[in-house]
Amino acid sequence: MDLSGGFGARSDGGGATREATGLESLHLGDEFRQLPSDNNAGGGFTPLLELPSTQPVRLLYFTDSSSSSPQAAAVTGISPPQVHSYGTLTFPSNSVLMERAARFSVIATEHQQHGNLSGETATSSVPSNNSSVKTETNSSQVVEKQSNRSGKRKDSDKKARSSTNKKKNKSSEENEKLPYVHVRARRGQATDSHSLAERERREKINARMKLLQELVPSCDKIQGTALVLDEIINHVQSLQRQVEMLSMRLAAVNPRIDFNLDTRLASPNGSLMDGSFNGTAMQVTWPHQVTETEQSYHHHRQLQQPPPQQWPFDGLNQRVWGREENQDHGSDHNSLMVDFTNLHPNQVKAEL
Amino acid sequence: MQPTSLMKEEFLKKWQMGLQIYRPLIDNTSVSERRKAIKLSADVAMASLRRGTTCWSRALIQKTATENNFLVRQMLSGIKAETLINKKLPKVMCHRKIVRRSKKNFMRRKSRSVSEEVAAKARKLIKRKTQGLRNVVPGGEFMNNDVLLIQETLDYIVSLQTQVNVMRSIVDAAEAGIERTACYLEKLKFTIED
Repeated sequence: MDLSGGFGARSDGGGATREATGLESLHLGDEFRQLPSDNNAGGGFTPLLELPSTQPVRLLYFTDSSSSSPQAAAVTGISPPQVHSYGTLTFPSNSVLMERAARFSVIATEHQQHGNLSGETATSSVPSNNSSVKTETNSSQVVEKQSNRSGKRKDSDKKARSSTNKKKNKSSEENEKLPYVHVRARRGQATDSHSLAERERREKINARMKLLQELVPSCDKIQGTALVLDEIINHVQSLQRQVEMLSMRLAAVNPRIDFNLDTRLASPNGSLMDGSFNGTAMQVTWPHQVTETEQSYHHHRQLQQPPPQQWPFDGLNQRVWGREENQDHGSDHNSLMVDFTNLHPNQVKAEL
Repeated sequence: MQPTSLMKEEFLKKWQMGLQIYRPLIDNTSVSERRKAIKLSADVAMASLRRGTTCWSRALIQKTATENNFLVRQMLSGIKAETLINKKLPKVMCHRKIVRRSKKNFMRRKSRSVSEEVAAKARKLIKRKTQGLRNVVPGGEFMNNDVLLIQETLDYIVSLQTQVNVMRSIVDAAEAGIERTACYLEKLKFTIED
């Protein structure tokens, strides 16, 4: 993966200008909260794909040794028209994006038209958005890591950082149009482009590993990448095995999988009404039987598997449809089907 | 990031769609066939949630499309289906034995020190683990990039979690329903016999 190429490829799309809320971004970066989002249909790890407008973002990289433009340009491998004559590190971001970032524990701040840092070939219909978001998360993670790490550093770095923080708001607008990314090299670290790129890559990987650690509950306390990776592999394998087991159980339970949940889940009010109606009907039909036979039932319990053909799994049907289907069964079965239909929507609704 | 109820609902809808496609087959077939049908539709539903944005979803859809083209086509909405199914994933052919041998020869020439060896061993271990991860995650062989691999793994884990949650709730409901009808049948028997 050629990171230096990736740096050069980042370009400003000329999007809306934004005001930097640098300190805010730093604080938010410390939080790794996991909050679901209801706005995004996709959900999951790629909520940022739903960003309506892409925002320009710049990560400013430059070396500590000198902030002269030609050297920085040499570092990044390109000669930018506009020069960063200021020695500040800005984190331009949008307030809307900050919200989203806070919600998804990344600082989403990047827009780019081309050049994908991860090297993934975008094939879907929203390629630029995808790549922009991916690199957004990449860069934002990097930014996060940088800010976190700088907090732990010695005095010189701290001073530099505080000064950069102060200058952030001022220089944010000036940095908007820069078409490249800068990396700040830490004190005492190699500053050639290759090691910079490698450091970027490592930071990205570490950030993602942290996310993984928080997602998978079993590797919270583990130190070391190899063991964490072990745990993750085990977790994925266990999830896959669970899927197999569940599908086996479902196949064994019912010969006919006929559920029709469209209206149930779409209209919660409707489903609840249906469920309650069925509940009352059910209670009317067999309370007396239940109470009388309770005692004897406990003594003489023999559990048989009901013959599959008699109890088709219409559990999640519309009530009316269920009744129509079961007219050929007896009235007893009818009440049972009512029981079926009543049971599942409530359960499923509760569990979902 | 935990699975949201929205994701679960979408997954459920898509899964139902797939199962309804299989409905004519389900009545007369054995348990294993049913299981396969259930699992396939669940997998395609899970992958279609992502709409081709992630590498693992594309790989999963392509894997199922090789055998069950019909199902996949039906389940995915129109345009997407064609592009996803027909596009070939980039084949990264890499003969691991040859690469390993050449690396071994190369490393022989280098000067060794204890710390270097330790670091090299750690790196080897991690490489082995990432290779294991690639084997588990669908489409992992095509992700040479570590960053991409971990990202895909994250997404895959979240999707698997939604799949498991939804399936488990359905299965529990179904089994509880069967249980209750069995109990009711027993009670009925006793009342009749009495």
